[in-house]
Amino acid sequence: MGDKVFMQGNEAFAEAAIRSGCKFFFGYPITPSSEIPEYYAKKAPSEGLTFIQAETEVSAFNMVAGVAATGKRGMTATSGPGFSLGCEAMSYMSAAGLPSVIVDCMRPGPADGEILGSQGDYNQLTKGGGHGDYNTIVLAPYSVQEYADFAPLAFDLAEKYRNPVVVASDGTIAKMMENVEFPEKIAPKGRSDWACDGINGRDHYNDITTCGDGPEQWEKYNLNLQSKYTKIRENEQRWEEIQTDDADILIVAFGSLSRVCLTAMRIARENGIKVGIIRPITLWPFPVKAFEKFADKDVKYFVTELNAGQMVNDVKLAVNDNKKVEFYGRLGGITPTPVELYKKLCELYK
Amino acid sequence: MKSELIFSGIGGQGTILMGKMACTAASKKGYNVTLSPAYGQEKRGGRASCQVVISEEIGSPIISEADTVLVMDEKSLKDYEGKVKSGGTLVINSSMISTKATRKDIKVVEIPFTEIATKVATAKSANMVALGAVVKSLDIITLDDAKEVLKIKMKPALVDANIKALEAGYNFVK
Amino acid sequence: MSIVYKRPEVFTDEYKKYCGGCGHGIINRLIGEIMEEENLVDKAVLIWPIGCSVYADKYFKTDSICALHGRAPAVGTGVKRSCPEDLVVVYQGDGDMVSEGMAEIMHAGIRGEKFTVVFVNNSIYGMTGGQMAPTTLMDQVTTTTPYGRKDENTGHPVNMAEIISGLNGCYYSERVTVNSPANIRKTKAAIKKAFKYQMEGKGLSFVEVLSPCPTGWKVKPLQALKWIDDVVTKQYPLGVFKDCGQEEK
Repeated sequence: MGDKVFMQGNEAFAEAAIRSGCKFFFGYPITPSSEIPEYYAKKAPSEGLTFIQAETEVSAFNMVAGVAATGKRGMTATSGPGFSLGCEAMSYMSAAGLPSVIVDCMRPGPADGEILGSQGDYNQLTKGGGHGDYNTIVLAPYSVQEYADFAPLAFDLAEKYRNPVVVASDGTIAKMMENVEFPEKIAPKGRSDWACDGINGRDHYNDITTCGDGPEQWEKYNLNLQSKYTKIRENEQRWEEIQTDDADILIVAFGSLSRVCLTAMRIARENGIKVGIIRPITLWPFPVKAFEKFADKDVKYFVTELNAGQMVNDVKLAVNDNKKVEFYGRLGGITPTPVELYKKLCELYK
Repeated sequence: MKSELIFSGIGGQGTILMGKMACTAASKKGYNVTLSPAYGQEKRGGRASCQVVISEEIGSPIISEADTVLVMDEKSLKDYEGKVKSGGTLVINSSMISTKATRKDIKVVEIPFTEIATKVATAKSANMVALGAVVKSLDIITLDDAKEVLKIKMKPALVDANIKALEAGYNFVK
Repeated sequence: MSIVYKRPEVFTDEYKKYCGGCGHGIINRLIGEIMEEENLVDKAVLIWPIGCSVYADKYFKTDSICALHGRAPAVGTGVKRSCPEDLVVVYQGDGDMVSEGMAEIMHAGIRGEKFTVVFVNNSIYGMTGGQMAPTTLMDQVTTTTPYGRKDENTGHPVNMAEIISGLNGCYYSERVTVNSPANIRKTKAAIKKAFKYQMEGKGLSFVEVLSPCPTGWKVKPLQALKWIDDVVTKQYPLGVFKDCGQEEK
């Protein structure tokens, strides 16, 4: 590990991705994600990177699919409007088992919307977004350090499960500057046995297709995908618990808003209200395990999101409707202040 | 210890640079620092502001009430006077702002940044005069800390003039 | 007894799901023959479209990727940038390329991607049941132009080989057809030249092949071959539109 560098979220992610051996970036400029392609473009000559500004996000995502199909690390970064276009390729890469990393710097929609922080893509990212029964792992960073840490993690998970991984940041985390420490550069890995990088001496040829060969074959193919998703659900739920042991009220929040909740929690505790936080780190698989140990405790949930209420439905499923679950959200790119959240919490649980 | 600061002005006035310098100074002393910038959609003459949180533990990048708020133009005063914590400091660029602050529960410091900068250096150093005035209101960063950062961040040829501007801003505040 | 004509070794045993009289089988075979003759099987990554050749990944003992509708040039870009030493062949039909994937093919040409595109133009959507393509001829009857293609509603056919040749990134562009043994030999020569340019690291090499679709055109196979000569080539003239290799000599 090197020294700490004071750096913007997007640039820190790009640097970490380069250090993770991701030598290919394909993207289309869109606020608030554009510093990632700009960083790749700048570093391309000195680091031996391939950077292409694609004609559309549709193409950028499919170029990532191409690189992933050869077994090498490639990525793109975008925001909601671009991710919507990329969903076709998300469905494709999921079906084809292509390990890739996609950053969605969320901004408030629907449609063109605004450019500040938002969590309005939660449903799109966690429930598919494109067509068919597929899931992608979704990691939601809450600091610049964690954003950077998720670059190597995302590629490792993508390769472990041969599945796309989304890093879901937002306009706040993307633009925010904090101190960050980077891991050492990793050496590029060798060829993958399944990849289409030309036979070049391999003892078999490979075929990547998502075209079904009759309903029976395609159902079996789908069931294989589903069993992979079951394995991911079992193994990869990630979350952080903060002062939950004695808590009467558990805030559930992720990403940039969970940072606001940290301060709101401290204000509440100074005022004698025992508040804790469950912070989902993987949005898919949703960390249902985090809620199990509170099943027999007398706790209430306060879910807050930068949207009209999306993750709250997963929380309700996780607690089997046995607990009181209140929701508070802001839209349009507004992030509530800690005091605003604290007051809302008092109002809902007075 | 914790400090929450807001710097607000128009693009080109160096508000983000001031925020970055405050962060660098504080992080050299081991604090967690977070800078959240906000830009207007327009490329020129738009809003440029940042929120800076300096603290021992990681927390909200969004500030409920700031210890110190620096406003560089009229609209920033209108937008951010209400964000100063009771007992906190509002630093006003009186070279560009003629409106008076209305709050009585905060310390209001009016400084003609441009005039002072022109006197000790050039008008371009107005933001360093401003930073000096902000540093005066803080316990967490000293004048020497700010000077150190300035020496690292600026071209050698510009350091002396900007240190003079920084000191002038610092000493202007009583 | 010596064997003068046999199935390319690079073909798998898979039964080819093409209609009688279709040109895809011939074009697939030519690609296989050239790869064998030029020792390129080991280096090949074939990228297939959505359309009648969607199952072609099953016909070759090479690495194959079946892309989504229209996206083969984007996938090909990723593959070729990752493996510049490989032979990357992007194989597309006219619905796939000229409709759904117009942006992808144009920008692959604009960037001068160093792969080969084999564009199979039969002026109709075969797989989905004979609908109009952007390449459908004026007055041609399809299931979505039941009264013939009319200018005022659908515009005119698109001449891709000419359009691509106008891009700086294009190194070679030629239109050929497979409706006679002589034309098949010319098609083979064109694809062979395109592969050669690719392996030399040149820009985009583009071969448009006019291909018969008796099923979609609702004619007998022999009539389809004749229709190419009599009608199709009037809209889509055969020939070389750009050959930077020739110009260099």
